[in-house]
Amino acid sequence: MFRWHSLRRTASVARRSRRMPTLVPLLLAVLALAAVAGSGAAAPAGAAEGQATWAVHVTLAPTWFDPAETSGIITPFMVLYALHDALIKPMPGNPMTPSLAESWSATKDGLSYEFQLRKGVKFHNGEPVTAEDVKYSFERYRGASAALLKGKVARVEVLDPLRVRFVLKAPWPDFMTFYATPATGAAWIVPKKYVEQVGEDGFKKAPVGAGPYRFVAFKPGVELTVEAFDGYWRKAPAVKTLVFRVIPDESTRLAALRRGEVDVAYSITGPLAEEVKRTANLRLVPTYFTFTTWLLFTEQWDPKSPWHDKRVRLAANLAIDRAGINGAVYLGLSKLAYSFIPQGMEYFWTPPPYPYDVKRARALMADAGYPNGFDAGDLTGDTIYGVAIGEPVANYLQQVGIRLRLRPMERAAFFQEYGDKKLRGVIFSGSGAPGNAPTRLEQYAVTGGRYVYGTYPEVDGLYGEQAKEMNPRVRQQILHKMQQVIHEQVMFGPVIEPAFLNGVGPRLEVHGLGMIANHAYSGPYEDLRLNKR
Amino acid sequence: MSTTEAALRGTGGGELIVGSRMSTLAASGFPYIASSILAVLMLVAIFANVITPFDPEVGNLGDRFKPPAWQTGGSTTHLLGTDHLGRDVLARLIFGARVSMIVGFTAVLVAGALGTSLGILSGFLGGWVDQVIMRVTDTWLALPALTFAIFLAAIRGPGVMNIVIILGAIYWTRYARVIRGEVLSLKERDFVRLAIVAGCSKRTIMRKHILPNVLNSAIVLGTLMLGVVIVTEAALSFLGVGVPPPLPAWGLMLADGKKGLMAGYWWLTVLPGCCIMLMVLSANLLGDWLRVKLDPQLRQL
Amino acid sequence: MKRFIVKRLGYALVSLALLSLTIFLFVRLTGDPAVLLVEPGASKADLEAIRSQLGLDRPIWVQYGSFVSSLVRGDFGQSFYYRTPVLELYLSRLPNSLLLAGAAMAFSLVIGIPTGIIAAVRVNQWWDSAGKIFALLGLSLPSFWVGLVMILFFSVYLGWLPSSGSGTVLHLVMPAFALGWYFAAAHMRLTRSSMLEVLGSEYVKLARIKGLPEALVIGKHAFKNALIPVLTLAGINLVIMVNVAVVVETVFAWPGIGRLLYEGISFRDFPVVQATVLLGGAMIVFVNLLVDVLYAVIDPRIRYDR
Repeated sequence: MFRWHSLRRTASVARRSRRMPTLVPLLLAVLALAAVAGSGAAAPAGAAEGQATWAVHVTLAPTWFDPAETSGIITPFMVLYALHDALIKPMPGNPMTPSLAESWSATKDGLSYEFQLRKGVKFHNGEPVTAEDVKYSFERYRGASAALLKGKVARVEVLDPLRVRFVLKAPWPDFMTFYATPATGAAWIVPKKYVEQVGEDGFKKAPVGAGPYRFVAFKPGVELTVEAFDGYWRKAPAVKTLVFRVIPDESTRLAALRRGEVDVAYSITGPLAEEVKRTANLRLVPTYFTFTTWLLFTEQWDPKSPWHDKRVRLAANLAIDRAGINGAVYLGLSKLAYSFIPQGMEYFWTPPPYPYDVKRARALMADAGYPNGFDAGDLTGDTIYGVAIGEPVANYLQQVGIRLRLRPMERAAFFQEYGDKKLRGVIFSGSGAPGNAPTRLEQYAVTGGRYVYGTYPEVDGLYGEQAKEMNPRVRQQILHKMQQVIHEQVMFGPVIEPAFLNGVGPRLEVHGLGMIANHAYSGPYEDLRLNKR
Repeated sequence: MSTTEAALRGTGGGELIVGSRMSTLAASGFPYIASSILAVLMLVAIFANVITPFDPEVGNLGDRFKPPAWQTGGSTTHLLGTDHLGRDVLARLIFGARVSMIVGFTAVLVAGALGTSLGILSGFLGGWVDQVIMRVTDTWLALPALTFAIFLAAIRGPGVMNIVIILGAIYWTRYARVIRGEVLSLKERDFVRLAIVAGCSKRTIMRKHILPNVLNSAIVLGTLMLGVVIVTEAALSFLGVGVPPPLPAWGLMLADGKKGLMAGYWWLTVLPGCCIMLMVLSANLLGDWLRVKLDPQLRQL
Repeated sequence: MKRFIVKRLGYALVSLALLSLTIFLFVRLTGDPAVLLVEPGASKADLEAIRSQLGLDRPIWVQYGSFVSSLVRGDFGQSFYYRTPVLELYLSRLPNSLLLAGAAMAFSLVIGIPTGIIAAVRVNQWWDSAGKIFALLGLSLPSFWVGLVMILFFSVYLGWLPSSGSGTVLHLVMPAFALGWYFAAAHMRLTRSSMLEVLGSEYVKLARIKGLPEALVIGKHAFKNALIPVLTLAGINLVIMVNVAVVVETVFAWPGIGRLLYEGISFRDFPVVQATVLLGGAMIVFVNLLVDVLYAVIDPRIRYDR
């Protein structure tokens, strides 16, 4: 539309400059302009309008505006999908949809991967997206698995402005898993010139990316506002303004949804979810992503602790009524978990389920020497799942005598202390990080992993083996064996794979929830549509 | 000093104290209702184990959100209904009385002991001791109690003992100020002067002559502080920095109940609040009466 | 007189200095903020880098020194979490708290003063008893509980008022009432006792003997004098209100400085916590000072007291 305007203008100006300006051509030009402007405004397609508001359950952190700092949790992607774009990212129908990259290829020896960038894609500030930016984004990435990823890559070559090649030090079958999925943010591209110009802090205050929406304003702790970027390569968004409002309290989120102040309220559980179902003009829409919650018995390697006895750990697992928790908190919409690895992940091994058997649990406790139970210390978890699921779990454990005190911690602090091995007792752990079984095993079950408080030698040995194995079937066997050993040792107390329940109001015709597989939030943003009034 | 001035200046303004000479509800009579309520609450707290049919910390998820007996869906098994984990509300209220009583009385004792001693020292010894204590008191009073409590709770973490310490650490200043004022006027009294002349050691005087006479004020202040402390504890538990779950505490019950509010589960909010109100109201009434009875001068409080 | 003011000012400054030191030290006991600002799995070097960036690796007296020197210039530092100047954050939320406190104060005075006067005039009659009950309830009910019950009635059952957030006058009604009831009770009691005192004074007795109409006696002579202590208390209470509103703010999701403090503590955002507590305390110290001075101006006897 704008190009049309400027063409018209140039034409009329050119005409006028060739001979004496007369009224008639001028009038014609003006009329033409008016016609174009009028028709442009009347055409609904291409003109973004309206506002959609989300009630977000977590406090938005400025680090989430920067793909270089994705920390292995999925929440930043709520913002990344709006402001930024990646070479390859999950989209409806394809978890590895070429986006900023048109195509990619790998050499047979698995040593190098080449990406062909799409032509004519621009950042919000008008700069083109080039291979230099891809290289820069990779090199500045310092989020989850950064060391691992960078350690495997020998160098990044810029072949031409639209072609980039990654050369590995050794063949690594998981390169695409780590680079081209939300396991890391390394493939989400930021403008090199702009970042170098404004610096790290400046970038967080006014981020520029290649996504469908551009940054407008951020009121810390209150809300984030973004506006449609008409120049987005895929399509111009239909909704003009997106507002992400921070409302950590669930009741308040629901209240805002009911009053129409927001269009989507994330994370509504239990009785409030039932309220949503009962309310006529609201819908309860669950989304699913690879997310499991489980108990970590940190003291199982301490011979002096009751948890050292496998029977106690088993008793804990038998005492939890997973179906009951599912029904109470998630209205039955979640999946029960018997492994700390999500069922949907590659190389998942299906363990035999634990029945809900209080009698047997009590018998085991008595056998182990704790007929009256014992004081098990703190159950530390985050303020959302640690409470919603942790509390009923503690309740069940209390029935067999395992007495725990609930200790919810603010998310960031929780993960930090968890990772620094500062917590004791039982940890209510959860992970929604993308990846596959090996990535989960690496983080939570193998020596050296970030959140590993201990493990068993067999597990370590098997992990080393599978890392070297190139044959996928053999590799799967090894990985299955690992999970089996973990299950036999009752290393964890898996609970549930929570569904993410959301309340949706009447204004959004296309709310985007569940459109992208394994993505908890609304997306893709450019496909959202408001109801016509 | 006029009544009202005393009212305003008694504690430096950092804490709200209202002075009134005749505002007691039972200006002459003993507040029977209030004290019986307190007595009942105390008995309930002491005999909690005996009177409760259910374990206040464990519940059956399948029985969650049952309304009180008199509503449809309720039953006499759970007279006052159940909470989000199926725990019996009545049991939790009863045990909650215990927690509130323990926290309330202990915190008041701690604050009282600390504040009274410092007040006596400050008032009697005067000089730089007085100055230092008064400056610290001023500073402490300048910190809004609740804010400071949240802050300290963040440092120490949740727990009944921690809460008691924190509350004691915050409210001693109210005592110090008032007691000091008392001591200042006591110092001028003949019997004290005589004791000094007679050569009694400072410590003896403080212990034998000053302390018994300020006890009245301390007690009165204690009953007034009890209400404040209980409400503060409830507020802290409500915010999640007080008594840790699954312990039954009325403030915690209010926090849990908030979620059910929008779904209409009123009993989880109204009932614990009524309990808090009863305890605080009774403490306040008793304190009012004590204030009048024990020492007319104390009406300045 | 001047000496008095100077002395009081001196005390106030000492209090503020002690306050800043206390907060400064205590806040560092809440933990290490650096760990919350890096990604999980960050190396020790990364943590050191952040700490250095935030100035946390310097000796504590140096930190305190720079803290105070910036303070004097009005610079409260930058939020660790949001990387924006703390003062900006604070000032963006302060109006909300002031609005809430103002509304609550208005409510408490509009209800408290007239009921107090009537209770004093009709001592020990029906009005007085009703007033006393209202006052007792107000002083005994936790403000956040009042808020919750109001939400239950006016939002859930009746649907008249919005249950949370801010934005319109309707949003303000319940939080202001919940916050203000306690103070309305306090003001009522003080007004009542103050009125009674004034009504029993020689001055008023004289006016009555002179035969002035009762309404004039109450309305003109008694009222004005009785009001002075109430208004001074109100002034002090306004500041207190702003600071104790944190629970009411939580219940109603009101975006004020109470919530800012709470978040600051959760995120171990030292500058935010320091600033919020310090500014809160400074307000109280300042108002106390003002009251002391005003009183000294009004009543010369005070100057020689203490």
